[in-house]
Amino acid sequence: MTQFLNYLVLGLTRGSLYALIALGYTLVYGVLQLINFAHSEVFMSGAFGSYLVISAVVGNGKGTSSWEVPFVMLLGVVTGAVTAGAIAWSLERVAYRPLRRRNAPKLAFLISAIGASFFLSQLFGKMFNRFTNNQFPPFFNDNSVAFTIAGAQVRVIQVVDILAALVMMVLLDRLVNKTKLGRSIRAVSEDAPTAALMGIDIDRTISRTFVIGGLLGGAAGFLFGLNFSFFNTMGFLPGVKAFAAAVLGGIGNIRGAMIGGLLLGIVENIIPTLPWVGTEWTDVVAFIVLVLVLMFRPTGILGERLGRAA
Amino acid sequence: MHKGFFTVTAVMATAGAVVLTGCSSGSSGGGGGGLSSPAGSSSCTGGGGLGGGGATSGGASNQSYKIGFQGALSGDNQQLGINEINAVKLAVQQFNAKGGQPFKLSVETSDDAGDAAKAPAAAQQLIQDSAVVGVVGPIFSGPTSATGKAYAAANMALISPSATNEDLTKSGFTTFHRIVPTDGVEGAAAADWLASKFKKVFVVDDTTVYGKGVADVVAAGLKKKGVTVLRQGVPQNTQDYGAIAQKVTSSGAGAMFYGGYDAQAALFAKALTAAGYKGLRMTGNGGKSEVFTKGSGSAGNGWYFSCGCQDATTAPEAKAFKAAYQQAYHTPPSTYSPEGYDATNAMIQAIETAAKSGSVTRQAVEAAVNKLDYKGITTTVKFAPSGEVAQATVNLYEQKNGKIVELGDIKKQK
Repeated sequence: MTQFLNYLVLGLTRGSLYALIALGYTLVYGVLQLINFAHSEVFMSGAFGSYLVISAVVGNGKGTSSWEVPFVMLLGVVTGAVTAGAIAWSLERVAYRPLRRRNAPKLAFLISAIGASFFLSQLFGKMFNRFTNNQFPPFFNDNSVAFTIAGAQVRVIQVVDILAALVMMVLLDRLVNKTKLGRSIRAVSEDAPTAALMGIDIDRTISRTFVIGGLLGGAAGFLFGLNFSFFNTMGFLPGVKAFAAAVLGGIGNIRGAMIGGLLLGIVENIIPTLPWVGTEWTDVVAFIVLVLVLMFRPTGILGERLGRAA
Repeated sequence: MHKGFFTVTAVMATAGAVVLTGCSSGSSGGGGGGLSSPAGSSSCTGGGGLGGGGATSGGASNQSYKIGFQGALSGDNQQLGINEINAVKLAVQQFNAKGGQPFKLSVETSDDAGDAAKAPAAAQQLIQDSAVVGVVGPIFSGPTSATGKAYAAANMALISPSATNEDLTKSGFTTFHRIVPTDGVEGAAAADWLASKFKKVFVVDDTTVYGKGVADVVAAGLKKKGVTVLRQGVPQNTQDYGAIAQKVTSSGAGAMFYGGYDAQAALFAKALTAAGYKGLRMTGNGGKSEVFTKGSGSAGNGWYFSCGCQDATTAPEAKAFKAAYQQAYHTPPSTYSPEGYDATNAMIQAIETAAKSGSVTRQAVEAAVNKLDYKGITTTVKFAPSGEVAQATVNLYEQKNGKIVELGDIKKQK
């Protein structure tokens, strides 16, 4: 039982990060019917952006007192989000908008996305380095335990990850369902030409959708880097998984992306650690689950939702 | 619609494969600085140079020859290549600086980026250059297995300072030699040491050729001694080691051996500490580097490493080498620098022997390498007919307070 809870906590942590990234895929898919493959690099840029700020603020991290830690973390989430939001915005400007203007076929968008993805990861490799285990300065003790449930320890960093993800997801849900921007995003998803006729600026809505996805992805990038490590190609695997999570939940469906992400994270931690499976099968297990779910529910767990209130 | 998804997934998978091959070849290299680009002298100022030959006086002839170097001088794993090429150049410079030599030497570098796919071209560059009479390298196992045949056909003697894969000396690469023990030798020594202390050991590998290879040897060695072995693999591109760390911790194993490279080992180290694992932690030569020390922080303290290599910063034999290296490159020698130095000096001695016996041809050098008996700073360079070094010591290291220190011959450790 303790074992199970331990893996569940690990799964929830990883899953909430997947969910944050998955939201970026699903939001953009909603408005453009396009899988933004460069989103994994938007996620990566968040980690590097927040690193620059955090290391400037806390130095080597040794002198950070405990009351400062929450503020540093908040700063990390915000700067990660802002960096990635900016990258996502420019990405839309440079890689997608010119194509949209020329009514390019869907395949061209796909190639453009893959190209942008390579460009960004190599650019960051060039600007920083290509080592695979860059770490944030240790400004807090990442082994400190927050609380214990039935013998299973929950670490502070895990609580932070899950809480931050939850808060952002609730905010996003409010944003999409209650605000004017949310309404225009939904309108563009449902029927872009009609939305334009109703006076919605499509370009601006699309651009903002990218930024929102970027903000969430960047925050996830910071949390991911803090939890594990960050490097120029860090986006690939979480990107694929988050994309899978978005499909699992029902692409274009915001709540679906959240559920898909959490589910994938939990499955990835619990099934491979069963005695007769083995951790080398982690990635295989994740995609077997995806295939099984799609076999019985081809539109994902909550179903595809384009436009209808997410 | 769904067709669309699958196409998309397929494209993604293809793109992914490209990315993976680009980034997943592991490094066993030494560290670089924090987030700044890996520093290192990449200037190719080999000693002497061809032009220098004309200025020498008193030699039998004003001959000059080249020693080739094939290794990773760019890309993800360049640090190890830089560690070695610096030592190679130092040895050649020292040779040229001694007066009255019958010939001059220079270094011809060929960059394979540590990539087996780029290695054949890099090897051709050296083979085509008729002034190259012997090669130090290739420094990685993958590039070696991709080029061993071509070098053998050209009768070019190879002395590798760091290619440790077991099969390289069993693949018909007749001119291949190495001065380090294989992963098999190292793994068996590590298993013996662990078996003398523990009844239950958890062996984890990174599913790469190197990592799984060494972990298999360790696991087999432990089983032979009646130790209970638990076995798991974690793919090298894993970022979250939480689950496996939890599994190791709850298994109750007294020790854990990880077969894999430094960067990943560091992440695993952090996860193990976070999961509260109290047992002994150990890895092989692939994990012993500053990349591990830097990445793992305090979680790396207490880790043990087996390595058929010599720590140039502490070994008394390497004192002069360390000082000269520091003076030339303004940085202390790192992983495999001393081995690079020994391999080059051994090659120089072979060329001298060939020169004395008449002509310096590739064939003559290769014959001389086979008969070498050179006392270097890391080992005595003397090869078995297979090309393996005759006498190999596996040393045990431990990370203490953020520094990896040598404890000495693993056979003599308690």
